Amino acid sequence: MAADVIAPRAHLSFQTGAPVELDVDYVVVGSGAGGAAAAATLARSGRTVCLCERGPWRDPEHYPATVYGAMRDLWADWGTLFARGRSMIPILQASCVGGTTVINSAIVVRTPPTVLAEWAELGLGEVFSETAMGAEQDELERELGVTQMKGRQLMEHSEALLRALRSRDLEGHAIHRNARDCIGSGQCLQGCREGAKTSTNLCWVPEVATRGGTVLSCASVARVLIERGRAVGVSGRFVHPAPARGQRRGGSRFVVRARRGVLVAASATGSAPLLERSGLRLPALGRGWRGQPGAAMLGVYPHEVHMERGTTQGAASLAFSSERFKLESLALPLELLVARVGGAGVDYARALEQAPRMAMWVAAVRAEAQGTVRAGRLGPPVVRYAPTRRDTERLRQGLGRLARLHFDAGAEKVLPGIHGLPGELGPDELTALDSAPVDNRCYTWVLSHLFGGCVMGNDPTRSVVAEDLHVRGVRRLHVVDAACLPTTLGVNPQHTIMAVARIVAGRIANEEGTT
Amino acid sequence: MRWWRRRLVGVMACALPAGATTPGIDPDRCAELIERLRCEAPLLIRFSLHASVAVFLLSPLVTVGRPCPASWLSAENLDRHTARMARHPSYLLRQAMLMIKTVAGLCWGADPAVRRALGMEPYPAETGEWRRM
Ligand SMILES: Cc1cc2nc3c(=O)[nH]c(=O)nc-3n(C[C@H](O)[C@H](O)[C@H](O)COP(=O)(O)OP(=O)(O)OC[C@H]3O[C@@H](n4cnc5c(N)ncnc54)[C@H](O)[C@@H]3O)c2cc1C
Ligand code: SF4
Repeated sequence: MAADVIAPRAHLSFQTGAPVELDVDYVVVGSGAGGAAAAATLARSGRTVCLCERGPWRDPEHYPATVYGAMRDLWADWGTLFARGRSMIPILQASCVGGTTVINSAIVVRTPPTVLAEWAELGLGEVFSETAMGAEQDELERELGVTQMKGRQLMEHSEALLRALRSRDLEGHAIHRNARDCIGSGQCLQGCREGAKTSTNLCWVPEVATRGGTVLSCASVARVLIERGRAVGVSGRFVHPAPARGQRRGGSRFVVRARRGVLVAASATGSAPLLERSGLRLPALGRGWRGQPGAAMLGVYPHEVHMERGTTQGAASLAFSSERFKLESLALPLELLVARVGGAGVDYARALEQAPRMAMWVAAVRAEAQGTVRAGRLGPPVVRYAPTRRDTERLRQGLGRLARLHFDAGAEKVLPGIHGLPGELGPDELTALDSAPVDNRCYTWVLSHLFGGCVMGNDPTRSVVAEDLHVRGVRRLHVVDAACLPTTLGVNPQHTIMAVARIVAGRIANEEGTT
Repeated sequence: MRWWRRRLVGVMACALPAGATTPGIDPDRCAELIERLRCEAPLLIRFSLHASVAVFLLSPLVTVGRPCPASWLSAENLDRHTARMARHPSYLLRQAMLMIKTVAGLCWGADPAVRRALGMEPYPAETGEWRRM
C-alpha cells in the first residue's frame, strides 16, 4: 500500500489504512516525564518535533474514576507487569499521553546533593552539576506551578503523620507538588479529573503541537531506524486503545524520519527493550535496572480519618535518608485497600469495615538491588529484580518506624500486612515487627520509582549512554528518561528526570548535528 | 461456562462476604465485572483469575485437611479455608488469594452501596473516551 506522507500537524491518533510517513527534525519516543520535557525543549528552539506515544491522549474529562477504569484506560498493560525474582513485585506505570505523570502523585523533590555527588564520582558531574540541575529545577518549579500542600489539601491523613513526626522531633514536611489547585480528591492514581495536576499531557505535549510539532498517539514504536551507525527515525504501528470484539488492535504502520536525531524516553521498562529490538548489542543494555520499592503500614484510629479526603500524598519525612528509606502518607482507593488488608473471609470483611478509620503510610526503600530488563517475546518487557536481604531489612525497619508513628498519632492498632505476623498489632506488640521475617515474599511490595536499563556513565562496558545521553556507537540517538539514571535517588524521581531531559535536550538543540 | 461463571462469583463472595454494617460483594455486579474482564482485559489477567479460582477450589486438602473441592465444604469450613489460604505458608496459595481479592476489590470498592455504607462518595460515571483527532 502506498504510504500517506502527511504534513506535520498537531495530532494524529489511531489510524487504519495506508502507512503514515512523516519527516521532522527530531522524533521523541514516549511522552512522560522525560520525553515530553525533552520534546518541548526542542520545539521551543524552533525544531519540528514528532512525539510518538503508545497510549491514547486522554484529557481530564476522559479520565476514569474507578480503579478498574484506571487499569483499563491509563495503566500500562493493566498493571500486569511484575518484577520477577524470589517474589513477584507489581510495577506500576502509565501508558497514555503524559506517561506516568498522569497517574503519579505530583510530588516534586529536588535531586539531593548527595546523589549529584555520587554522579560526579562516576564522572558525570560536568553536565549535571549542582548549579545546572538547580537552575533547571528552579525553572521547572515555576513552569509547573509547584506549591507546598496545606490546609484542606492535607486533611487528617497527612496531618496525623506530620504530628507524629513532630512529637518525635523527626524531620517531616508537607509535600511540594505540581498541583497548585489540588482540591484533595485523593484520586491521583486514576488521573486528576480536576485538571489540577500539571501532568505533561496538559502542559508540554500541547505545547509541542502548538509550536508546529506533531503528536502521534496510540502509536507504538517498534524500532529505531539506524542506517550506517546513525539513527534516522523510528517505525511502528498504531494500536487501538479499546478495540471492540472482533476488531483488530493493530492499525496502520508509521514511519517517522528524523533529520537531526531520535530521543528515546519509553521509561525504565521500555527504553532498553526498544533499543534491543532495534538491533543494539551493548554489554550494559538492559542492565543496572533499579527501583525504590515500598510497602505500606495501615493504622486504625478511634476516629474517622477518611484517607480518600485530602491530597493523595500530603506528608513526607526524609529523616531516615541515611538509613535508605523515606516515609510518606499515601491514600489508597478502596478497591486497592482490599488487596492490602491481610486475610480473606468473614473476619477480613469486618476488618475492612474499619476503612474510614484507616490511614495508610508507606516506606520506600532506596534499594541496592540491581536487576535487568529485556524485550519480552510476547510483547511486554521482562524485568528480573529482587530486593536484597538488606533492602528487606530496611523495609522492615521503615514499617516499624511507621507503626510507632501511627501510635504516636493516636492509632488503636496497626495492620502490618506482613506474612508471618498477626493481622493486627497493638501498641505493646511492636517488637514482633522488629523480628518479622527478612524474606521479601512476606511483604506486599510495590514498585513505582524505576531506574536504569540504559544507564549513563563513562565506562563503555558498564553504560549504554555517555554523560550527554547519546547512545554509544550510534550517532544522533539519545535516551532521555528514567532509564538513563545511573543510581536510585532516595526521593521521588520525576523532577530529576525532567531536569536531566531538559538539560540534554537544550544541549542537543544548540548543537548542529549531534554526536 | 455458566457453571464456571457462578463458581467465580461464588469464590469472590467467599473472599469478601458482608460485614456487620457493609454489604458483601454483589453477585450481579461481580458477574458483570467478570464479563467486562472477558471482553476488555489482557489474557494474563483472565488467565491468572481463572487459575487462582481453580487453585481455591482444589486446595481444601492443604488448608482444612478436607480432600474435596471447596464448593463441597460447609459454610464454616469454607470460611476457614478462605482465611487460611490468605495466610498460607505457600507463596503460590497466597498469591492466588491475592489475585481473587484484587478482582473482588475492583467490584466491591466501586459499589455505590458499599461506598455509601463506609461514608465515601460514589464514583461518577466514566466515558472511556480519548482524543480521536
Ligand atoms: C503511582 C505512581 C505515583 C508516582 N508518584 C510520583 C510522584 O509523586 N513524584 C515523582 O517524582 N514521581 C512519581 N512517580 C514516578 C514518576 O512518575 C516516574 O518516575 C516518571 O514519570 C518516569 O518518567 P519516564 O519519562 O521515564 O517514563 P513515563 O513517565 O512512564 O513515560 C514513558 C512513556 O513512554 C511510552 N512508551 C513506552 N514504550 C513506548 C513505545 N514503544 N512507543 C511509544 N511510546 C512508548 C509509555 O506509554 C509512557 O507514556 C510515580 C509513579 C507511579 C507509578
Ligand atoms: S488529590 Fe485529587 S485534586 Fe489533588 S491532584 Fe490528585 S487527583 Fe487532583
